[in-house]
Amino acid sequence: MTLPRRFLALCFVLGLGLGSAFAGLPELVETPSLEARVAAGELPPVRERIPDTPLLVELGGEKSPGMHGGELRLLMGKQKDIRQVVVYGYARLVCYTPEFDLAADLLQSYEERDNREFTLHLRPGHRWSDGHPFTSEDFRFYWEDVATNPELSPGGPEAQLVVDGELPQVEFPDRYTVRYSWSKPNPYFLPALAGPSPLYIYEPAHYLRQFHARYRDAEELQQIVDDENRRNWMAVFFNRDRPYKATNPDLPSLQPWVNSTTPPAERFVFERNPFYHRIDQNGRQLPYIDSVAINIASGKLIPAKTGADESDLQARYLRMDNYTFLKTAAHRGDFNVRLWQTTKGSHMALYPNLNTNDPVFRKLLRDVRFRRALSLAIHRHEINQAVYFGLVDESNNTVLKEGPLYRSEYQSAWTEYDLEAANRLLDELGLEQRDDRGIRLLPDGRPLEILVQTAGESTEQTDVLELIHDSWLEAGIMLYSIPSTREVFRNRIFSGDAMMSIWSGLENGIPNADTSPAELAPTSKYQYQWPQWGAYYETRGQSGEPPDLPAAQELVELNDRWAAATSREQRRRIWQRMLEIQEENMFTIGIVNHVPHPVVVNNHLRNVPKKGFYDFSPGAYFGIYKPDTFWFDEARR
Amino acid sequence: MLHYILRRILTMIPTLLIISMLVFVIIQLPPGDYLESHIAELQSQGESVDEKKIEFLRKQYGLDRPLPEQYGLWLIGMLQGDFGYSFEYDLPVTDVVGDRLFLTVLISITTILFTWAVAFPIGIYSATHQYSWGDYGLSTLGFLGLATPNFLLALVMLYFANVYFGTSIGGLMAPEYIDTPWSFDKLVSILEHLWIPVIVIGTSGTAGMIRRLRANLLDELQKQYVTTGRAKGLPPGRLLRKYPLRIALNFFVADIGNLLPTVISGAEIVAVVMSLPTTGPLLLSALQSQDMYLAGSFLMFLAVLTVFGVLVSDILLALLDPRIRLGGGIDK
Repeated sequence: MTLPRRFLALCFVLGLGLGSAFAGLPELVETPSLEARVAAGELPPVRERIPDTPLLVELGGEKSPGMHGGELRLLMGKQKDIRQVVVYGYARLVCYTPEFDLAADLLQSYEERDNREFTLHLRPGHRWSDGHPFTSEDFRFYWEDVATNPELSPGGPEAQLVVDGELPQVEFPDRYTVRYSWSKPNPYFLPALAGPSPLYIYEPAHYLRQFHARYRDAEELQQIVDDENRRNWMAVFFNRDRPYKATNPDLPSLQPWVNSTTPPAERFVFERNPFYHRIDQNGRQLPYIDSVAINIASGKLIPAKTGADESDLQARYLRMDNYTFLKTAAHRGDFNVRLWQTTKGSHMALYPNLNTNDPVFRKLLRDVRFRRALSLAIHRHEINQAVYFGLVDESNNTVLKEGPLYRSEYQSAWTEYDLEAANRLLDELGLEQRDDRGIRLLPDGRPLEILVQTAGESTEQTDVLELIHDSWLEAGIMLYSIPSTREVFRNRIFSGDAMMSIWSGLENGIPNADTSPAELAPTSKYQYQWPQWGAYYETRGQSGEPPDLPAAQELVELNDRWAAATSREQRRRIWQRMLEIQEENMFTIGIVNHVPHPVVVNNHLRNVPKKGFYDFSPGAYFGIYKPDTFWFDEARR
Repeated sequence: MLHYILRRILTMIPTLLIISMLVFVIIQLPPGDYLESHIAELQSQGESVDEKKIEFLRKQYGLDRPLPEQYGLWLIGMLQGDFGYSFEYDLPVTDVVGDRLFLTVLISITTILFTWAVAFPIGIYSATHQYSWGDYGLSTLGFLGLATPNFLLALVMLYFANVYFGTSIGGLMAPEYIDTPWSFDKLVSILEHLWIPVIVIGTSGTAGMIRRLRANLLDELQKQYVTTGRAKGLPPGRLLRKYPLRIALNFFVADIGNLLPTVISGAEIVAVVMSLPTTGPLLLSALQSQDMYLAGSFLMFLAVLTVFGVLVSDILLALLDPRIRLGGGIDK
């Protein structure tokens, strides 16, 4: 720790020459909670802490510029959840705006050419939370000493950096410039940098070097390995290098709040980063709030604790069925409850397993008429009224109306409750025979009984399945729901034992043309409608089976064409085609979407939007609404 | 006697070996391993998973090795005092558990004292006043405590404590005292929270304790030496304390074997419901996420305590009650 301090002393001297760079910026205001440390000489004054060109956040409209101070209390269910502060903090190289466009954030600017060449410009004078400069050396360290180090990354760099097996060419022209280039387009690069769980292509080299075999004396490093009883130095390195998990208080960070508590603990405090790069129009360095305190409590108690006023900003671990309780509790407590919008393509969707082992069912499930009949026989309106107070939209598993790619037919095709049409389709399929219960018979004489696997985690799913059971019975189909645990649930789907499952729909229901459409095509074994096809794509044919439905093949092809496309218009057309295919084929059967999510906000906490999207990706939950601009009024400062 | 103790200690070794094998196998029984449940959890929150990274971690954690080898390594480690590594916390198991041990012991001992303080007088009263209104009334109360589901009682009490006393919900202290050094205020805050779990866990234990004490005491009270003592004019209180009560206490000593592990594990379900910072919820989440070394070492620790507790209570019983010692002699 001696090195950065000596460095700081040097910066004090050099800092004098930087005055001119601040022209055009508002006059800076020192943060009250840091004044003592500045006076004691432990920290440089604010103008030397921020980059030469800080990110100026103009607060207006619904948001107002605020004052420093206060502690934001959050509740989390597990110690691992402290990474949510890194998600909420949402300082990224590039980040999504509330309109879901990309903008430079930690970067001063970036240039992109045909999605092939990306030039990143850092902010001169930008520092890590310990005061050490943030430069292209930190990017070089990541690329040369971590991502392509055969011991630390035996499988090579992260998937988003590899295009058709080709590694990028990475250059560091000067102290503040980094260039990544590929010979083919890489549309995954920028979104990965902006992700809620981002791809870290920079690491605090000055800190991590001491745990790296290339920079540390082998004997000393071995000593650390032995002291900590680890397997090897890589384990020591990764134990320190956890920017996302935030478990290492010594790891320098660029986030608005930095963890100051060593786990294990029941309460974690994240302190403000004195070198943060954003300021407001009144010259106050962000974040406004001094610290974030997280109390760990059992997830099931969190709604009750929130209702007892123990959290200032809570959405995690709250559910729609807590809404009435929270509303009542708000009369006693000092908070208000808002409803934000979730952005899943479908809150719950049925996944017919096209790779199921049973040959008769496989043939049936692959027939689009059967999937359409199943959808027509779901009484979505009844589900909406009975389970969701009529507050949600009855819809396919598709994009939401707020998104730029929305078309009403995506939402409504085959979703009206039409038993007559469903029965007609089923008769057409040769399933006219029925047993004495009125259940249709399969060609081999077995009754048409569909087992739907659930992960056994929510009673909501079982309630919905119960309602679907009733309406499917009218169409001569028997539904049984099979609850299990999450691991068993997934393994049954992968192995093909499951014929159908229920899970949430598309992760991102408000994509734009630049968002990867991979979720719609068989590209991952975690897609429960075609796990084998997904595995085939993912492993480049080493496991799984190649897709043999023309529509699925077309989806794979479209997904590849999207990745290679050079214009936004091309990408938009590919998206539309893929959504059309999903609409025609009903590979997943959506039930409802647009489900609100309760967000509890303390009455003294300002700048939290009244309405918003609550989703992990790309919204980073509160992240895109910039929690560093939230502030407390006098009562809580 | 020495021979007896030695033999008991030697039989502990195969017992513990078998337990360790069972523990390891049972933890491994559910499909998949820690990393698979980890992936499942990440994905359910929409986070992506890099398969290459997972393979790397699997190697780092030694999860790619065959089961017997993993078991062997774990066993050898434990013999050397290394209880393995918690994947979930990325810390040695001892660090993870050690932190919570003190509060667990605090709750458990307070609960046991509470149970005794309630059960003892009631048990004696019910035995000496058998079939009286008092006996019926107090027994009913005890059974009510036994029959009320712990978690429900916990929730109800949490609610009322919060609404009427302003106590924060769950946990063992107000949030601002967590992980701060000890102070008077912190102690007060702990006491404010402590009574709820103590009463909740305690009520379920009292009924059993009352019934056992009552039955044991009734057995003794019928015996002739009591009648003789009474005939000779011993005051009833003195008579009760001096003879029947002492003999009736045998079951207390026999209970030590069960007591030791409960002191350490705390009441899991209540602890989970009330979100207490004790070891119970830790064990539960370790089992759920298949954090096998944390769960395994913890269960082994409990097993050792049980086996050891049984040994202690056997030795104490043999010392206390000559009839038990005699039985051992006949065996020889």
